[in-house]
Amino acid sequence: MLQIKNLHVSIDGREILKGFSLEINKGEIHAIMGPNGTGKSTLGNVLAGKDGYEITSGEILFNGENLLELEAHERAQKGLFLAFQYPVEIPGVSNANFLKAAVNEQRKAMGLEPIAPGEFLKMMREKMELVEMKKDFISRSVNQGFSGGEKKRNEIFQMAMLNPQLAILDETDSGLDIDALRIVANGVNKLHTPENAFIVITHYQRLLDYIVPDFVHVMFDGKIVKTGDKNLALELEAKGYEQFELA
Amino acid sequence: MSLEILKNIQLKDKNQQQSLENAISIGSPSMKHEEWKYTYYNKIFQNPFEVNIDTKNENQKIDAELVPLLQEEKYKLVFVDGQFIAELSYFPQSQKFSFWNNNNVTESDSKDFLLELNNALVSDGVFVEIQDGFIEEENIGIYYIATKPNQIFNLKNKVKIGKNVQVKFSEYFINPNNISTYYNTVSQIDIDKNSIVVWDKIQDGGELYYLTDNTFVKQEKSSVFTINTITVSGNIVRNNLVIDVNGEYAENHMNGLYLLHGQAHCDNRTLVRHNEPNTNSNELYKGILADHATGVFNGKIIVDQKAQKTNAFQSNRNLLLSNDANIYTKPQLEIFADDVKCSHGATSSQIEDSELFYLQARGIGKEMSRSLLTLAFAGEVLDKLSDRNKQFVEDKIFTTLGINI
Repeated sequence: MLQIKNLHVSIDGREILKGFSLEINKGEIHAIMGPNGTGKSTLGNVLAGKDGYEITSGEILFNGENLLELEAHERAQKGLFLAFQYPVEIPGVSNANFLKAAVNEQRKAMGLEPIAPGEFLKMMREKMELVEMKKDFISRSVNQGFSGGEKKRNEIFQMAMLNPQLAILDETDSGLDIDALRIVANGVNKLHTPENAFIVITHYQRLLDYIVPDFVHVMFDGKIVKTGDKNLALELEAKGYEQFELA
Repeated sequence: MSLEILKNIQLKDKNQQQSLENAISIGSPSMKHEEWKYTYYNKIFQNPFEVNIDTKNENQKIDAELVPLLQEEKYKLVFVDGQFIAELSYFPQSQKFSFWNNNNVTESDSKDFLLELNNALVSDGVFVEIQDGFIEEENIGIYYIATKPNQIFNLKNKVKIGKNVQVKFSEYFINPNNISTYYNTVSQIDIDKNSIVVWDKIQDGGELYYLTDNTFVKQEKSSVFTINTITVSGNIVRNNLVIDVNGEYAENHMNGLYLLHGQAHCDNRTLVRHNEPNTNSNELYKGILADHATGVFNGKIIVDQKAQKTNAFQSNRNLLLSNDANIYTKPQLEIFADDVKCSHGATSSQIEDSELFYLQARGIGKEMSRSLLTLAFAGEVLDKLSDRNKQFVEDKIFTTLGINI
């Protein structure tokens, strides 16, 4: 589904990703772990198509298509989703209008008619239940006045609405209490099917108690330095990242 | 010289002739005047405009289909090319409505070019007295519909509102055929004790339309006045709003939205005088400026020495959608009392890249994302309007920005 080959990325002339490679197949959950400043969020942003990054070499294929040639909204329409580390507050745009626009743009890209209002509301209600959102959420402005936990739940909710093929969760667990963490993880587990895949970017092993990864990658200085199964996360939790600093 | 056109006019009424001479001797506002620093008023007189002082004789007609808003309105006062059209109008029969004619033009010595011009050349306008205790939920629409090109129209409204009244007026400045014209309107609104008045101005004259609108409000004790000034198009639009808060516990809310594109120029000038204690004013003007548009905001609040416990808040926020758009904003406070709460602020910003990316990352195209964020910026003011006026303005914004949701 996704192939990242020897990716080099710079911001303002400073190289952040230094030969990053990763292959992801349908049905897989990949965890990427590593200390601050190793390029984990850069990876998420580059995949989602944020401006301001210079791709100096390498390639990214998404279902065989060159992802780097697509604009951010085209990537989203083709089934790629980034759950933001810091979801943006958008005063004045209601969650309902925001998601209606998003769902309909996606449908338009697939050659479908806009969703019927009744169907849309029904879908919203179902998916809201999944992440235990309150009813007034629909009419509130996107993320405005939301607690940290609500913002992260909203990311998962949006993911549920858009039903992506590949979702990248960028430190979705940071700043969450244990209840919110459970809600978020539960949402992800319910959405996981043999047809889709997840990249879970995290600092801590904690989230991986709830979302069990097929692969754990350790990222250090802009590339993957070690890959293992879920036990690698436990080992990292015990030993820390120092072993890689020495290497 | 641009004002030659005025010098050739002879008026029968001596008060009007005097005002005409006053206007000529004051001279039209120039950009050298502090009050007109950013607005090139004399551009208006570079157009081949005519002053028609005998409009009353014409048999005015208009195809009502041209103005869809009219059809669903219950109470309406319709002026076509500066003249009241009784057949299209309908107003609450219990109230005293009459209209301007030469007989009720009074002497004027305002020292203000626009007011003297208006007094001299006034062709029509509403003269209303709303009786004590009158409560009406339906909007009363005042329509100025332009159909005849290259004319200058002066309308004057005098609205006297009694005690314990609740009413809502909306003025619509519209130009269905997009002709070139100049309207100079003056409204005087006197609000007696305990009355609640909402007044919307919807200005949508198009790119060849010039408008100077002058509104003077006097508020008595415990009255609440809300005015929403919405400019969605116009070549040059200048709004002068003066509110005298003359009674204790009176409050007012001034909201404004100007959505400008092309070469449009809109200048909002507001003045609130807090003349009595325990009075409140709240002002929020927002501007969205695209292309080469220019916005001007000048808001002045004066708190008299005896107006203790005044609360006066003012904010002007602007969204610039283009590098060639301009905003000149100047909030002013003059406070002569010591126990007051006043604040003012002005900002101009652009669409946040982070917000744009967030929408795009959900599959919403760049243009659509920009449009949604722009509409969101306007939302705070749009929410103050009645559903009908909000719908009308939103539709305009959608058309202007090319939104389709």
